[in-house]
This record gives sequence, C-alpha cells and structure tokens, in this order.
Amino acid sequence: MRILIVEDDADLSRQLKSAFKDAGYAVDVAQDGEEGHFLGDTEPYDAVILDLGLPLIDGVSVLQKWRADGKTFPVLILTARDQWSEKVAGFDAGADDYLTKPFHVEELMARLRALLRRAAGHTTDTIELGDLMVDNRAARAFVDGMAIKLTSHEFRLLSYMAAHKGRVISRTELVEHIYDQDFDRDSNTIEVFVGRLRKKIGTDRIETVRGLGYRLLDPDSEAAE
Amino acid sequence: MRRRSPPSLVFSLIRAALLWAVPGLILVTIALGLVSRNSSYRGFDEPLEASVLGLIASVEARPDGTLSLSRELPEPRYQRALSGRYWLIGRVEGDNEIAPIISSRSLYGASLEVSQDILTELSTQGQEPVRFTTAGPDIDADEMLRVVARQVILPEMTSPVIVLSARDVAPIVRDIRNFILTAIALLSTLTLGLILAVYAQVRLGLRPLFDLGRRIADVREGRAVSVEGDYPSEISPLATELNSLISHNKKIVDRAQTHVGNLAHALKTPIAVLRNEAEAASTTSSAIVSKQTDTMAAQVDHHLRRARAAARGQAIGVRADIDPILDGLVRTLPRIYRDKDLTIDRTGETGLIFRGHPRDLEDMIGNLMDNAAKWTGSRIDVDVLTLEDGICTVIIADDGPGLTADEIETALKRGARLDEATPGSGLGLSIVKDLADAYKGSLSFSRSDSGGLKAVLRLPIAVLADE
Repeated sequence: MRILIVEDDADLSRQLKSAFKDAGYAVDVAQDGEEGHFLGDTEPYDAVILDLGLPLIDGVSVLQKWRADGKTFPVLILTARDQWSEKVAGFDAGADDYLTKPFHVEELMARLRALLRRAAGHTTDTIELGDLMVDNRAARAFVDGMAIKLTSHEFRLLSYMAAHKGRVISRTELVEHIYDQDFDRDSNTIEVFVGRLRKKIGTDRIETVRGLGYRLLDPDSEAAE
Repeated sequence: MRRRSPPSLVFSLIRAALLWAVPGLILVTIALGLVSRNSSYRGFDEPLEASVLGLIASVEARPDGTLSLSRELPEPRYQRALSGRYWLIGRVEGDNEIAPIISSRSLYGASLEVSQDILTELSTQGQEPVRFTTAGPDIDADEMLRVVARQVILPEMTSPVIVLSARDVAPIVRDIRNFILTAIALLSTLTLGLILAVYAQVRLGLRPLFDLGRRIADVREGRAVSVEGDYPSEISPLATELNSLISHNKKIVDRAQTHVGNLAHALKTPIAVLRNEAEAASTTSSAIVSKQTDTMAAQVDHHLRRARAAARGQAIGVRADIDPILDGLVRTLPRIYRDKDLTIDRTGETGLIFRGHPRDLEDMIGNLMDNAAKWTGSRIDVDVLTLEDGICTVIIADDGPGLTADEIETALKRGARLDEATPGSGLGLSIVKDLADAYKGSLSFSRSDSGGLKAVLRLPIAVLADE
C-alpha cells in the first residue's frame, strides 16, 4: 500500500514516514500544501494523511481540490487546534477521518488501516485466502498458521494483491502502489518480487494473466463459482 | 451600604423647571387678585363719595334741629326698602351707635353699626372721607355694606354730624371671587401646559440618549454588533467611543483566542514528535519521556481549554447563528462515528442566534454531541426550544448506557474526565458547564426516554425585535 503524508513539521513527518515504512507501507512525504496537492493529484495513493495547518495552501483547500478533481483515496486529517469548525470543514471538504495532535502513532496507524480496510470493503485487518493469511496490522503473512519471512517490498506486494484479491492487477499499478516516489521504478523488478513471493507462499497462488498482469487467487470465491 | 442611584434625568429636569414655575405662578395669581380687588374697590367707592358730597351739599338744618334735603339724590335705589343702597346723616350717640337724624327710605328706619375705631378715625380725620365695611340692615341676606363716611359740621349746627353713604358689597365680592377663580383656572392650565411642555422638551432633548441606550441594549443582547444610528454632535463622540470600545473588546477576545490557538498548535506538534520519538526507542529514559509527554499533552489540553473558557462570556457585541453550527455537527458526527451507523434527529426551532462567541457555542454543543455519539447505540436526538424569553434550550439525548447520579456529579466537577474509557479527543463535560456558566446559562443531565443520557443546555439568545 502506498500512502502520502503531508505534514510541515520535518521531525514529525520523518517519524511518521519511518513508522509507516516499518509497518510495510510505501510512503511519500510532502512538506507544504502545494507539493502535497501536486503529489496527490499525480500519484495513485491508497490513502493520505493530511495536516490542516500547512504552508502555501492550507489542508482543507488541498483536500477540496483533490475531491473536485475526482480523487477518491481516503484522507485522514491531522489537526492541532481541536476546533469543531475545523473538523466540520475538513469532513465537508471530503475527509474520511481525523486525529487531533498530539496523537499516538499506533492510533494513527489503526485509523489509517481502518480507512484502507473500508476502502477495500474488508472488515478486519487480516485477509484470508484459504490457508494464506495476510495480517496488515502486524505486517506479516502466514501459511497454514506458520509465519513466512517477507521483505518489506514483498509484503507490500502481497498486501496490495490481497486487498484486491481475485482482480487482475497490471504491473504498472503494482509499481505505483508498492514503491514510493524515491524508488527506482523498474517494472521488471515486479517480476522478480512476484517470483520470490510465489516461492514463499506457493507457486499456484499467483496467476500470470498474459499481457494484463497478475492475479492473487482467492480459493473461497473460486470454490463458490 | 448600597448607594442610592441618582434620580432620572427626565425627573431632575422637570423638577428644576417646576421649582421656579409653580411658586412664580402662585405669586402672580395672588398679585393679580390684589390688584383687581383694589381697582374694583376704587371704582366702587367713587359713586359713594360722590353721594356723600351730594348729601353735604343738599342737606339743610332746620331750626328745630332736624335736617332736610333740598334735593333728593338721583339714585332711585335709595327709595326702595333694603335695596342695598343707603345713606344716613346722624350724630354719634353712645359708644358705637349713630343716631340717624335723616336717612334714606331704603334703610327703613334702621341704623348702621360703626365701630369705635372708625368713629375715632372720623373725628381725627376732619373733612377727609373714611372707608369701611359693616353689617347692613338686611339681616336675612347677611348683607355686608361698603361705607364711605365723613364727619362734618353743618351750617347753623354746633355739633358735628356724620354723613355716610353705603352700598351692598355682595356684587363686587362676587366679581372679585370670579376674577380670582378665573385667574386660578387659567394659571393652573398654564402650569399644566408648562409641565407638559417641559416634559415634551426634555423627552425630545433626551431622545438621542434614550435611543443610544436602546442601541447599547441591542448590542448587549446580541441584536446588533455595534452601536448604530446618527446622533447629535453632543452625543456622537460617546457613540463613537462606545463602538471603538466594543470593537477593542472584541479584538482582545479574538486575539486571546488566536494566541491560545497558536499556543496549542505550537505545543502540540513538538509534544507529538517527542512522544513518537520516545515510543520508538525502548530505554528507561524514553519510557520516562513518553510518560511525561502524555502528562504534558493532557495538561496543555486542559489548561488551554480552561484559559479559553475563562476569557469567554464577557465580550459584548458577539453572536453566533445556532443552525450552521448544529447542522455542521449533524453532518460531521456520523462520518466520524462511521462504524456506528449513527442517526442524528434534529428537531425544534431554527433561526436562533446565540449571544456569544461562535467557538464557545461550537465547543459546548460539539462536545455534548460528541459525547452522545461516543456512548450512544446508534441514535441521538437533538431538540432546540425556547421555553423562556431570551433563553434557548438545547436538549441532546442518546440511547447509550447513561450516567448514574454519582457519575453526573463527577462529570461536572472541575477538571474531571469521564470519557477516558473511550479513545479520542473527548473532553470533560465540566468545560461545557464552565462555558455555559460563563454565559449565565446552565448544563444539567438526566435520563433520556431511551435510558441513555439527556443533556440540557440553556444558553442566552438574541431577542430579535418583532417584525
């Protein structure tokens, strides 16, 4: 999953970036409203954490612009002022949740996971595909109840495919959602990651759809069909 | 000791005007009465004096000691009995008795009573006439006579005689009384008119002041944000000063709030950074930092809110529409508590204006509704009523577990937090109570129909003039 953090405090954004990276997310950071708006407008994020008190363009205006441009990614707003009018303005502009500073990173993560879950139509942090279980909360995966060792990129790939299980996902889409902005994006590396992942979770779980991309099979729905 | 407030300006001005006008008018009435009385008597005495002279000229003494008139006086009333016009010539006999020698037929043989003083005066005055009043012969009619008398020594007589002519004073007394009554009536009317004129003038003169008073009340009660209207040059500086005072006051409150907001913003981000940094590490010192930052966060939150609440409730000329704030919360809370499938039913009156700062209203209603949303099963009822003049009642009821009497008491205690069990940025309901108190409103809790908590918030509203 790839997220954008728009926060003008350098320390806070660094901390958030590191915490979210550790939790298995691809993270981009913007320090002001203008840059934040640009990134949100051009990159396909799965979710955005947006501070309201930003230099250049304020958070509410950035959010309004995104929504006016048809961006539907979930947005969690951060506010230091704890004013109802600010929350109302944020939600009216299209926010999906808010958190008042100072907050615990765990709470922010829990809220963001909830937003992502809701966006994907799931109800829990864990996604089960037969005997394969992806735990987004712990950033781990299990086969037959046994934990499997995954690199952060491998986990992101699995997590994204699990969130969109049963759907064919193009390489480009995978590149956009598992790499952050600074990463050297070579779509060939996707093949390498998919290969490694197949070895760890079982070759037949990921199907290659020629010319279109990859699909993570959901044994439950396949069985239903 | 309570100082007595000074009397009203209208009362003082009217009293000052009446203090000279009423005694003045009474004096004028008395003076007019005297002048009219004197001139009436003078006009009355002249014919009497003429008839005394006529009598002296035409009286003749006979050798037998009697007197006769060579020619009758022309006034016919002297011939008619008890007609009110009399003459008499007589001698002094005894103490105050005049024995008539000859008299008009109208006297019908009666004499006239003359006091000792008058007799003495007659004897000392010589030829000069003496004027006085005495009882007349018509006793039934309580007749009073005006008399002009002279003491003369007639030719061929050795002792002096008294010649007097008298006339009933009833008509002139009636005239004078009528005059005085008319004068009193006219002057009373004048006084009344004067009072009304003074009152009208004072009201007219003070109208801009009364107007100013009303405008200030409008500002105080939230109907207007500044003192409006055109005022005469004497008062306009006052209105201008008041407006600048109101705007200064408002600016100070706004500035204080901005400062508090900035302080909150400035402190909260560093606290967040410190807290995250400490949580990321796992040493003893980071645990201490973590614990202390939690305390700092709670303290900053608590004291900033309290500082804000303390500065409130005092500013005049601020007001807030209740509807947009309520509507915003009704819109937003279901989104915040998305998992609850929250329904907020808003009923009651619309178009009310809170007499205070929008942020305070937001804090009060927002926190009560947020608390309700936190604890409710899925439904919140918000009702807005005006049960009393100038007060609106906002009732927020949920279908959650409710509070016991003890819990309610704890919730309203200063600095208490009852909502710690639910995560989020909830705040003590005591802050809501503090704010409501600052605006001379109130906050109370009871059990809602569905067994949850019912918060009743009473707030002052702007009373708009009837249209």
